[in-house]
Amino acid sequence: MKGFTKYFKPIYPVILINIIGYFLLYLYRQPYEQATVFSGLAVIALICITYALIIKLMLGDEYLFLIVSMLVSLGIIMLYRINKELAVKQILWLALGIALFFLCYFIYTRFAKWDKLIFFYLGGALGLFVFTMAFAKNIKGAKNWIFIGDFSIQASEIIKVLYILLLASYYTNPEKLQINGLKLMGREICINHKLVFIVISYCHIGFLILQKELGTAFLLFAVFFLFLFVSGSNVWVMAINACIASIGGVLSYLLMNHIRVRVDIWMNPWADISNRGYQVAQSLFAIGAGGFFGTGLGLGRPDLIPEVHSDFIFSAICEEMGVFGGIAVIFLFFIFVYRGVKISLMAKEPFDKNAALGITLMFGLQTFIILGGVTKLIPLTGITLPFISYGGSSLTTGFISLGFLQAISNKY
Amino acid sequence: MFETLSTILKYVFAIIIYIFIYSIIRLIYLDIRSMSAKAVSSSGKHPYLKLLNIREELPFKVEEIYILDGNKTIGRSNDNEFVIKDPFLSGRHAEFLLKDGMIYVKDRGSKNGTFVNNERIGSTEVCINNGDRIQVGSLSFILIKDE
Repeated sequence: MKGFTKYFKPIYPVILINIIGYFLLYLYRQPYEQATVFSGLAVIALICITYALIIKLMLGDEYLFLIVSMLVSLGIIMLYRINKELAVKQILWLALGIALFFLCYFIYTRFAKWDKLIFFYLGGALGLFVFTMAFAKNIKGAKNWIFIGDFSIQASEIIKVLYILLLASYYTNPEKLQINGLKLMGREICINHKLVFIVISYCHIGFLILQKELGTAFLLFAVFFLFLFVSGSNVWVMAINACIASIGGVLSYLLMNHIRVRVDIWMNPWADISNRGYQVAQSLFAIGAGGFFGTGLGLGRPDLIPEVHSDFIFSAICEEMGVFGGIAVIFLFFIFVYRGVKISLMAKEPFDKNAALGITLMFGLQTFIILGGVTKLIPLTGITLPFISYGGSSLTTGFISLGFLQAISNKY
Repeated sequence: MFETLSTILKYVFAIIIYIFIYSIIRLIYLDIRSMSAKAVSSSGKHPYLKLLNIREELPFKVEEIYILDGNKTIGRSNDNEFVIKDPFLSGRHAEFLLKDGMIYVKDRGSKNGTFVNNERIGSTEVCINNGDRIQVGSLSFILIKDE
């Protein structure tokens, strides 16, 4: 029992943050609404039940979910302050996400043939690409949303997970992608599996660029490149890939107008502040207005930033919770990545190792890309901040990946 | 009213988040330290069993070193001190006993038997010394004991 209370301790700050947050939000919204209290209780209950289940059923690493629960709490409190309806939806997504988390955990531990399904992952991703190209509607400049009734699903989020599984199964059984005995003009040719894999990866990235999903394209390339490095590839293979990427980047800068706009804004958002640079400029103003400890919840004006609920939620956190709050978020992602890398190092089967590394890299790089974007460190690309930003697809696929990571952590 | 409250609580907010981060990092640190402490104490005065199999090749969880700082039972079921999920181990396989600085081992009615230097032992206690090989299931250990 003593051990139980000792392990239960880190959950207290999470609960306390939620209590203070929703207490403030209850006072903030005039007239007072009971819905605020219920939302807060719902979030606390979800987090506590999940954490207790992880501890009781001994589902492996408990720090992962603790860190994620803090991130999710901060995200939903901030969303509730910005837009109540979205926050309530996000709480529903959180419930669905946690259900999927457990489901994926159990599927991953029961089902052993994950590394054999490489063509299934490939087919799934390509199918989604074709489907989105044919049927998807255009939302916010990116053509990657699938509509099913009233729901919209962001296909690139699912493709991300499929690509990680593809990577992991390729590095487990590379010879599966070898093409042997292909007849071409009377001659038999063999194509090396490395070449096939690189072509497949660039196909993914190319499709994403066609759909104007620059953030996800950059993310997949970064994961792909780091995997080349981790798997101990030839220096020349890496150098050639870096060259291809640079040439591709320069070409797309020259050819595609929207990429040029992004880079121009990044170089100087103040040149066209009332129009194209407005979003980044407002984000920088918000971060600046916050100071060290922020303005306090409900006292800032994060609503001035367009898209503050999804891509720019970090600016809102910085404004109302201060630079210390922002650094805390970065810190949380740091320890999350640390845990992920440790799980990957402890794993013994190659597929588990690669999948854990891929998932960790995906979360870490995604955080870097969007935080760099909103703080004008790198050009802004629309991508969500994992577990914090509003977005059903983003949150649920985040929890699916987390379920896989949790399952891997319990195997060893 | 709301302004003052929010202004005060923003400091509380920051402090709580950092307490949380601190507690997580502390637990992770303890986690790492307990792992390295195991390795350190194994080189201390207690005798220990060292695994001779290549650990990475075994499809189940097994430690490199098992420290004999008291009477220890080994087997597949969870009520043993040394739980190893080796399919060739019985639920309650064998027991190590410490008496007056000597170490004894006895079989606890296992299916596949316990071997000391390739000789199968029964339920009577057998004294083992430094450098003896103990085989249980598919695992073989060597006893390390400072004289």
